[in-house]
Amino acid sequence: MGADENLTEETENVESTEAGKRALSKTGQPVEDIDNLSRKEIRKRAKKNNRAEDVKVRLSKAELKRQATLLILSAIFVVYGIIFYYVPLLGWIMAFQNFKLKTGFFHSKFVWFAKFIRLFEDEEFLRVIRNTLGMGILNLVTTFVMAIVFAILLNEVRNKYCKKIVQTISYLPHFLSWIIVCGLLHDALSSTGIVNEVLIKLGIIDNYISFFSFPAYFWPIVAFANVWKETGWNAIIYLAAITSIDPSLYEAAAMDGAGRWQKIKHITLPGIRPTIMILLVMNIGNVLNAGFEVQYLLGNGLVQGVSRTIDIYVLNWGISEGDYSLGTAAGIFKSAVAIILILIANWVAKKSGEEHLF
Amino acid sequence: MKLKRFTALTMTAAVALSLLAGCNKEPASSVAESTETPDVVESTEEGGETAAKEYTEDEIVDFTMFTAMPGSEINDGNDIQAEIAKKLGVRVKETWLTGQTDAEAVGSIIASGDLPDYINGGDAMIELYNADVLVPWDEYLDNYPNLKEMYSDEEWNMFRQEDGKIYWANVFQNTYGEDLSTEHSGEAFWIQVRVLEWDNYPVIETLDQYFDLLERYAAANPTMPDGSEVIPYTMLCEDWRYFCIENAPQFLDGYPNDGSVIVDLDTMTLKDYNTTETAVKYFKKLNEEYNKGIIDKEFGVQTYDEYIAKLSTGRILGMCDQWWDFAYSINDTLTQQGLDDLGCNYVPLGLTIEAGMENQWHDYGDTLNQSSGVAITTNCADVERAFQFLNDLLNQDIHDLRFWGIEGVDYLVDDNGLFYRTEDMRTQCGDPAYQASHLCTYSYMPQWNGTSRDGKNAMMPGQQFSEFSANLAEPLVKCFQAYGANNYNDMIHSAKTEKGLWYPMYSFSNNFTTDTPGGVAWNKMAEVKHEWLPKVVMASDFDSEWATYMDKYNACKPEDFLAEMQECLDGVIGK
Amino acid sequence: MSEEFNLDNKIEEAADTLETTESIAADISGSESSSDELRMVTYVKPKSHPIRDFMRSSWSDKLFVIFNTIFMVLFVVITLYPVLNTLAVSFNDGTDAVRGGIHLIPRVWSLKNYVTVLTKQGMITGAWITVARTLLGTFLALAANSILAFIISRKRFLFRSSLSLFWVITMYVNGGLVPTMLLFKYLHLTNSFWVYVIPGMVSAFNVMVIRTYMEGIPDSLEESAQLDGAGYMTIFFKIISPLCLPVYATVALFVAVYQWNSWFDAMLYNRLRDEYTTLQYELMKLLSSVMQTSGSATNMNTTSASSATVTPTTVRSAATIATMLPIICIYPFLQRYFVTGLTIGGVKE
Repeated sequence: MGADENLTEETENVESTEAGKRALSKTGQPVEDIDNLSRKEIRKRAKKNNRAEDVKVRLSKAELKRQATLLILSAIFVVYGIIFYYVPLLGWIMAFQNFKLKTGFFHSKFVWFAKFIRLFEDEEFLRVIRNTLGMGILNLVTTFVMAIVFAILLNEVRNKYCKKIVQTISYLPHFLSWIIVCGLLHDALSSTGIVNEVLIKLGIIDNYISFFSFPAYFWPIVAFANVWKETGWNAIIYLAAITSIDPSLYEAAAMDGAGRWQKIKHITLPGIRPTIMILLVMNIGNVLNAGFEVQYLLGNGLVQGVSRTIDIYVLNWGISEGDYSLGTAAGIFKSAVAIILILIANWVAKKSGEEHLF
Repeated sequence: MKLKRFTALTMTAAVALSLLAGCNKEPASSVAESTETPDVVESTEEGGETAAKEYTEDEIVDFTMFTAMPGSEINDGNDIQAEIAKKLGVRVKETWLTGQTDAEAVGSIIASGDLPDYINGGDAMIELYNADVLVPWDEYLDNYPNLKEMYSDEEWNMFRQEDGKIYWANVFQNTYGEDLSTEHSGEAFWIQVRVLEWDNYPVIETLDQYFDLLERYAAANPTMPDGSEVIPYTMLCEDWRYFCIENAPQFLDGYPNDGSVIVDLDTMTLKDYNTTETAVKYFKKLNEEYNKGIIDKEFGVQTYDEYIAKLSTGRILGMCDQWWDFAYSINDTLTQQGLDDLGCNYVPLGLTIEAGMENQWHDYGDTLNQSSGVAITTNCADVERAFQFLNDLLNQDIHDLRFWGIEGVDYLVDDNGLFYRTEDMRTQCGDPAYQASHLCTYSYMPQWNGTSRDGKNAMMPGQQFSEFSANLAEPLVKCFQAYGANNYNDMIHSAKTEKGLWYPMYSFSNNFTTDTPGGVAWNKMAEVKHEWLPKVVMASDFDSEWATYMDKYNACKPEDFLAEMQECLDGVIGK
Repeated sequence: MSEEFNLDNKIEEAADTLETTESIAADISGSESSSDELRMVTYVKPKSHPIRDFMRSSWSDKLFVIFNTIFMVLFVVITLYPVLNTLAVSFNDGTDAVRGGIHLIPRVWSLKNYVTVLTKQGMITGAWITVARTLLGTFLALAANSILAFIISRKRFLFRSSLSLFWVITMYVNGGLVPTMLLFKYLHLTNSFWVYVIPGMVSAFNVMVIRTYMEGIPDSLEESAQLDGAGYMTIFFKIISPLCLPVYATVALFVAVYQWNSWFDAMLYNRLRDEYTTLQYELMKLLSSVMQTSGSATNMNTTSASSATVTPTTVRSAATIATMLPIICIYPFLQRYFVTGLTIGGVKE
């Protein structure tokens, strides 16, 4: 029971360790838990079985009958999915028309690829693609690095209660809506905000900086907003991965006189590498979802050249200007790129032997 | 399967559209449907008094209205709303803009098909027209004398859209009887009275004099009584309110607020004020002042909230803005803090680029912006009744109820029949809780300025001279005296000129859509200006930044825009 | 000991206590990790004495601890300060707050901001609707997502991969706002409460999270239950679901937070219907109208400068705090579930 319990505790980081301790030897020496060993073996074999069981089930009357419940239920879900996700896709027709609400789908003039051509002739659209990719990549990298750093460092905190408190606090921003987060950030970076105040008190600057006036600051601010909101939440998975690293490795390293830096470098980081890789591959498909709300809420005229994303472009043309066709065309482009990215990421994952999506 | 779905969806759209089309072609059918409504109350001639009939709760019809401006909702059971409903049989639930721009809001309302009965779409009215969701007024207008009375035939014609029909009517800037306006509601360079007082009320005519005074004052009085620093000058650049930085060059050259272009009266051709010499001088001046630290460093990024908040602290000595854009939001706050007694109220200055030029900052009389107004949508089940209500809102007794309130509660009448408010009433009417529960102005519905039909009172309390003077703080009174002015209008010394029917030209450009090259250019020009105007002001090297800006600007093809505007102008003057 | 026997035993234990459920969850999580075999040996850490340990540690370790402590303190400060600052501003007088310089303690106390927020008409209706949509929406979404995940995670299911693909596609393509609006209009979802809970009921992402978790549960459980004659519904309710509590809690939290924070749908689809307004939408309305009213938000019977005022900044702070409060109060108690659920369900997506 010991190791399992122990893992639970470690995974959660906040749970009582009592149960785990109970199961451990009082001598403080490593013990081999026989019961645990057998369970582990079993689980491993069960896992193998599960995998091996990707057997082809033949389509037969008996099988259909056996799976009647599943089939009926999945039919309901398919109907639901078609209505709410696939029917709106018919709206893509608009991208090939000069769609007007007046004339509807039937009577709007078909212009085929004219809207797409217009899209790529528009300097603004090329700029929003750049912005979307730029912010997407920057956000991905910064949130990734911060989550890993935070997880590793939090793991090094020895005091259980401190650890628990810090971690609980770290989740908090995740539960706030972007409207709130952007409001907080806006206040913090304003002329009378805390950031300017601290910088002035430290003597780094003489007069306040108007952070939102300079295009150069905008991407970092957005990246920071993402880091602030999601670091604690994203770290959950890494913390779990770290706790599943064999403690004996650390013991052995300590015997060899390794300091904490060395241990992190040579044990922790390699230990969580598979997790990092999987998550990285998975998130690449989301790079184009660099966001809408943050940029929309924090952007202004001065930084619009770097703040507008594809989603904002779609909103501008699709809703404000009433050019539904152009907005839809931009939306289609985004979907297409997202799918291509996913396929590439998946292919890379397959090649490098990591877990992949499909 | 897919094909069926497709048909179903397109049917939806088609059915919806045919319904809309149906409403448009046969307004008679909606009349037929409305037979159940109680007899239409005929208002007496010239919109005097409403007939004495009282509607019971069952007879009252509820309409909805969306206004593409931020506003405060009033409570259910609001006193005056109930009073109006009792008299007119209609109650309107108003909804305002929330967290979107007007174009986004109108766009999403159109797309959702969930139209309110009335809509005031701000600058996005043309989108509503293009989507074919508005009821044309032509067949109705003659039946509703109060509405008809709002504009002359010539003016009504200005509202006609491409198909030759009228779909909306602007509700503002309409004077009944004599013009009683006291507050310069338009644009100006504003300055705190304490600054003028400090320099013994100098004559300020040019931009250079204006900034010179601000600089000197700020150097001598760098802080407020509470220790916070004064900010000599700020500008608002947010969204559509960026006119605060954008359109001053036209005024500085002595032209009126045509908004998007200058009309050269000699040749009847259009000029672009964005590229004039004056524009260069103006922005260069701003750039210079910015680098001197006179202009608020945050000007380019502040939101409207922040701008208003800053103004209400009294720290801002001057800015360029339109009265309605700031005064209603800050004047009471200044009073509360006692800042009005310190002379933190703003007065307008009619600046020009050179001394001795005539200015046209102030518009005497009404300005007709035919691009915006209140409309009735095809969703409205009882169009007749909706028109009747718009009409009846202009009845004098209803109009008084809307803007003055209930006699004896919100205002009193003296022996001469003049309306007045006591100090308590004034404070009460300024209280938002009271406004929500008691007052109901239907502020984006048809209304009048000027003198009331009784010939004595003002249509609006703010224009009643006694009310206006009673609200003035001491430093303002002294300032007006020093300049020999009776009110804000007199401060600005604008030339009295006859405006052509085309005026203001911005009401044409507001209706441009991106379907035409000119519309696309107009759209892009706005984008470029939003980004580059603050940039050139903040530039360390003005000349090169201005050159870059001009390259970007010219790349938008402003000539397309000007050509289309010229067509509009030619259309009006019948060339 | 046969495998079957042992696992069955395990399930019996599992049904009883949550603690054991989690231990199985942890088991499953362990099986995902690569260092599985290495973990058979367990160490017990000697009782730690922080100060003594620190003094004994090497120079670089000391530096590390110092650095790490500073990092954690900074992290906590950066995370908490904006929230605490907002709290302070929300209790401060409006005009005074505009001057800035308020940190953790209000300078001029005022409750007027909260009065403004809480007395706004529609706030009560909005609160009820928000609670209703959060509860109902979470329940419906959880039911739908878990059943769908259950179907997809059945190895024997005939259309397993096609059904998966059908839903995965929905994660990456969508028809855009306008067709969606037309559809909702056609389905009569606009101007109704149901627009909040029906359209978002199934989310492919959440389905995948639950599916991954369910796939970690040994198939033998299902098989032995089937041998005992249990149908799929029994397996779902009696065997799988009890083991999935952590991931259910995780998804429930996702949905609940989304539902709680939503206002855009209220504006888009129920703009003209007061009776279906939501709390967040009312707050948004308040914020966009507050600058109209702030100017004159004065106490009626006093004319002195000391009367309480509200400004957009302070009202926004009060609204922010009012919005956050329920979530902040609840999430620490759900922590144990979502940490486990996310850890196991999230890794593979």
